[in-house]
Amino acid sequence: MENTTVKAKKSIGSLIVGEWNTKTIVAIAIGAALYGVLMVYGGIPIFTNTQLSVAMIIPVVVGGLFGPLPALVCCGVGNVLADLIGGWGMWFDWSIGNAIMAFCVGLLPVYGARITEGIFSVKHAIIYAVCCILGNVIAFGVITPIFSYLLYASDLNITFLQAFAATLGNSAVLIIIGIPILILLAKRYKARSNLSQDKTGEY
Amino acid sequence: MNNKLVINFIPGKTTLHKMAGSTKVLLFVLFTIAIIATFDMRVLLPLMVVPFAAIVSMKPNYKPLIFLFAFMIVTVGIIGTVMLLVVSPDVGLTHVGSHTEILQVSDRLYVTSETLWYVLVTFTKRIASFATVIAFVLMTTPSEFASGLSFLRLPYKVCIIVSLAYRTIPDIARRFIDIRNSMQMRGVELNSKRTSLGKRLKYTGAMLVPLIISSFGKVETIANAMDLRGFGRLKKRTWYAEHELTRADRIARAFSAVFAAAILFYILYTKFLNPYPVTMWCPFVKLENITKVNVFDTLFFLKWFR
Amino acid sequence: MEETVIRFENFGFQYKVQQTPTLYDINLSIRKGEKVLILGSSGSGKSTLANCINGLIPFSNEGTITGSVTVNGLETRSVSIHELSKMVGTVLQDSDAQFVGLSVGEDIAFAMENEATPRSEMVPIVYRHASVVGMQDFIGAVPFDLSGGQKQKVAIAGVLGSDVSILIFDEPLASLDPQMGQTAVELIDNLSQNDEHTVIIIEHRLEDVLHRRVDRVILMSEGRIVSDSTPDELLQSTLLLDYGIREPLYITAMKYAGCSIPDNSNLCDIHCIEFSQDNRKKLIEFFSGNPSVSKASAGEEVIRFENVDFAYDEGVNVLNDVSFSIQKGERIAVIGKNGAGKSTAAKLICGIARPQKGSVHIGGTNAKQLSVKEIGEHVGYVMQNPNQMILKDTIKKEVEFALSIRGFGAEEIRRRATIALNACSLYSMRNWPVDTVSYGQKKRITVASILVLHPDVLILDEPSAGQDYKSYMEIMHFIEILNREYGITILFITHDMHLALENTDRAIVFADGRLIADDRVSSVLANDSVIQQANLKQTSLYTLALRLDLPPEQVIWRFIEHERAVKADE
Ligand SMILES: Nc1ncnc2c1ncn2[C@@H]1O[C@H](COP(=O)(O)OP(=O)(O)OP(=O)(O)O)[C@@H](O)[C@H]1O
Ligand SMILES: Nc1ncnc2c1ncn2[C@@H]1O[C@H](COP(=O)(O)OP(=O)(O)OP(=O)(O)O)[C@@H](O)[C@H]1O
Ligand SMILES: [Mg+2]
Ligand SMILES: [Mg+2]
Repeated sequence: MENTTVKAKKSIGSLIVGEWNTKTIVAIAIGAALYGVLMVYGGIPIFTNTQLSVAMIIPVVVGGLFGPLPALVCCGVGNVLADLIGGWGMWFDWSIGNAIMAFCVGLLPVYGARITEGIFSVKHAIIYAVCCILGNVIAFGVITPIFSYLLYASDLNITFLQAFAATLGNSAVLIIIGIPILILLAKRYKARSNLSQDKTGEY
Repeated sequence: MNNKLVINFIPGKTTLHKMAGSTKVLLFVLFTIAIIATFDMRVLLPLMVVPFAAIVSMKPNYKPLIFLFAFMIVTVGIIGTVMLLVVSPDVGLTHVGSHTEILQVSDRLYVTSETLWYVLVTFTKRIASFATVIAFVLMTTPSEFASGLSFLRLPYKVCIIVSLAYRTIPDIARRFIDIRNSMQMRGVELNSKRTSLGKRLKYTGAMLVPLIISSFGKVETIANAMDLRGFGRLKKRTWYAEHELTRADRIARAFSAVFAAAILFYILYTKFLNPYPVTMWCPFVKLENITKVNVFDTLFFLKWFR
Repeated sequence: MEETVIRFENFGFQYKVQQTPTLYDINLSIRKGEKVLILGSSGSGKSTLANCINGLIPFSNEGTITGSVTVNGLETRSVSIHELSKMVGTVLQDSDAQFVGLSVGEDIAFAMENEATPRSEMVPIVYRHASVVGMQDFIGAVPFDLSGGQKQKVAIAGVLGSDVSILIFDEPLASLDPQMGQTAVELIDNLSQNDEHTVIIIEHRLEDVLHRRVDRVILMSEGRIVSDSTPDELLQSTLLLDYGIREPLYITAMKYAGCSIPDNSNLCDIHCIEFSQDNRKKLIEFFSGNPSVSKASAGEEVIRFENVDFAYDEGVNVLNDVSFSIQKGERIAVIGKNGAGKSTAAKLICGIARPQKGSVHIGGTNAKQLSVKEIGEHVGYVMQNPNQMILKDTIKKEVEFALSIRGFGAEEIRRRATIALNACSLYSMRNWPVDTVSYGQKKRITVASILVLHPDVLILDEPSAGQDYKSYMEIMHFIEILNREYGITILFITHDMHLALENTDRAIVFADGRLIADDRVSSVLANDSVIQQANLKQTSLYTLALRLDLPPEQVIWRFIEHERAVKADE
């Protein structure tokens, strides 16, 4: 019997970039659409420009299944789309910030959490939580303010307050909802093996 | 439903609608860059008027637009300004370069004319950006968007992502309604008169899981359909949506060339050759009276460390 | 000898997630220019087999391949899906997913775009392909404006775009109305004649496909090929019955009349079948018996439409002045053209759409006062598209969902779910995730998830789409028990005239948003003007009647009567 599913161990580089086949492309696109819609309609505002948004689930899913770069593109595009349909003009500073944050959130496969193979342990959850917080701090504490200042001359006090709120809000969503979702997804993929007709067994 | 999201799927009939996707994206990008590049009211005003004129020329359905506009005025305009006045009342000094108090409420709460000017300029910038976005969304279909991005030399896989995502948005709305219906028909009460808000919120949250799972579940079928027709085989790709240039296209292209040069010159001139000492020009602040402030000195939390 | 384009040799395939293979010992060769029909029960591996030819297996669906499959001499495993896409064109089972372009023109051009064909060359080709399928006037239309049948046509035009030599159609007729289905069969046949196309059709609707010549029929069961023969040979054998596939109605009728099937030649075409002397006599005798009079149904009224108007978008009425009423315990067929508004009428009953004018009454109350959930306590609706309904992750959870929301006890939930899962032949798969099953199985999941509720009124939208005869009979049997024992009222929305004839007493016929007939099924199907307006098609019984010089309505009526008697005996 031949076995076609042998896989070589992947390098970190290829884990970061992800596999850019048609499936990935479509998944990024659909993720971006969901992200955009949920950004606009799926959040509770907590501060100007920031909200407690369920959209944060999307980079978790895309990152977990496809890797950090797809997550980055997904949220970057998703944010631009949210700007297009939300009718509040283009805020590239935040799009870039969100994309960077998504990258950090989506690092999952790089540190060995293989959701598609059902692998997600406590260790991974802890690294994931740290990545989420760091990612938010870098994205909204550094990147977004720089661009806000340069592109829009936004007031930095406000920007940092927003960044603070965003970091708190996003991290909360990412950790409180994100981890259960990852566990759920991993379980789902694990259940997806050795399916057999089971005619007699217990209900 | 399409109208509520303003997204267009069928090319409209006006001159602007009929332009090629590449021209639309080009103009959009140039306007966006120009609006970002300038803080000068004298430049911003025309940049704001043009997209508004474009919107009017397309004879759109104004209802959703007015809603969006009102939303923008309230969030960015009113709430944003109040916030600014509370947190950084002296932001005008940083960006405009002087401090002329016109109203003093308390020690930490005052209004300067420079801050008002700053608010006016940034808000104009936001409105110009808003109008540009709306004009672009109104005139562009997802496929034109993709073909236009491809004209700007973006990799076609990225273009496809944008176009696929853009056109999936109404599907998501539809899918959400399907799930809602399916739940209600099987016994979940979501009628506002018959259940409490808390319950409804809970069930709305419960709808997210099938929404996300089923949306991602479609990935495989769509990808298969694309693969089966040879998507991704070659390094490049052509676009059926990218039709021949119309007369309006040629005029707009010529204009774009001039416009791009002007933007480049403007950026070089104002940022390097003859930089203005502060961010924005202001009619009532004389060049020689400008005081320059280090931004970092204005940050409230850095003061805690002194 | 003609050259072989597709060759399977001791081929087997096992999905990565499955414990056992889905395909075993496939040996099959298809020659250039052949037109092959693949039959088989739902879940027997037909789509899987097709996907092995077009390369989705193994490139998109992971799994283990044994043996070999070659297309035009190339081992599929060693080339890429892109290479294969130049040779094989596939119209997928799910025509919504097939639509990747934003407009008809763009979708037809999609394959050419990927070939980097300059636009100037694309435009005339798109026009040509659109005209081949009769869609040249819709090149600018977007998918939401198209009916199911039109989408199917676009999908066919789309695969022509890449100049392929092998065409695979996976259940092209599933959601088409009878006339549209006939057009599609003719269209596919024209393709197989004009060029040197090799055509593979997967379809449950054998009789409809046989409307035009088919060279070979391959019968599959549980992952194996069990027969590979000409249509005539197949119809003469008893294989179809053995493997739970519906035979053409006229064949069944001949069997009822006690005819000997192998005595006739040209079996696969009712128009030129040659009856032996003896058989003709038997048929005429069988159909001459007088039909008994039907029982008049008189129960309380459960649904009433009063001058209902409905529009999705302002100004474009989808339903116009529709009025009808339905009594308790009735079994009704809702039939009519694609896009006539049948599913919309069902949505109005369920309250997920509300009439613009007129009113809908459910059990005597105006539905306006009821919420969707309250209507849902009386009415169960299985939607046309299973993807619109499925909410949960595994089959079991999906079927249990409605019961657990309503607060049934664990024991009762288990009892009802077991019965419904068995009725839909899903019990052995109950723990599977919903997205690893075939399309027909998915549809059955949604049927089961409503059947558990035992609603007063049950609406099934296209219950037979993508189902084989056996599983469809099992569902129907269960529904009939519900109808008899609990007095449940049943509405079938269907394009399947067999289904309507066999299982219902009354037909409500829609055409272009209007109700054009409301009568006994056999009378409707014998009425030429209604058939014309509603895009229906005479069943082969009608043609049989003409061939025998008997009144069609009598033939249809006798047939149903006999069939019910046979079923009652079982
Ligand atoms: N993507 C998949 N992953 C795992 N198993 C699958 C997948 N697709 C199909 N199967 C399994 O393979 C079997 C055959 O499925 P297939 O889709 O080939 O059936 P089919 O004959 O086309 O049925 P239908 O007439 O209902 O479309 C099914 O039992 C199904 O559970
Ligand atoms: N959600 C919707 N939004 C807008 N138009 C719709 C929607 N659903 C259906 N339509 C349109 O309403 C008309 C009737 O559709 P409906 O689905 O009721 O037809 P049908 O009789 O069920 O057809 P089929 O046999 O193809 O299922 C069609 O022209 C269709 O394009
Ligand atoms: Mg199938
Ligand atoms: Mg329908």
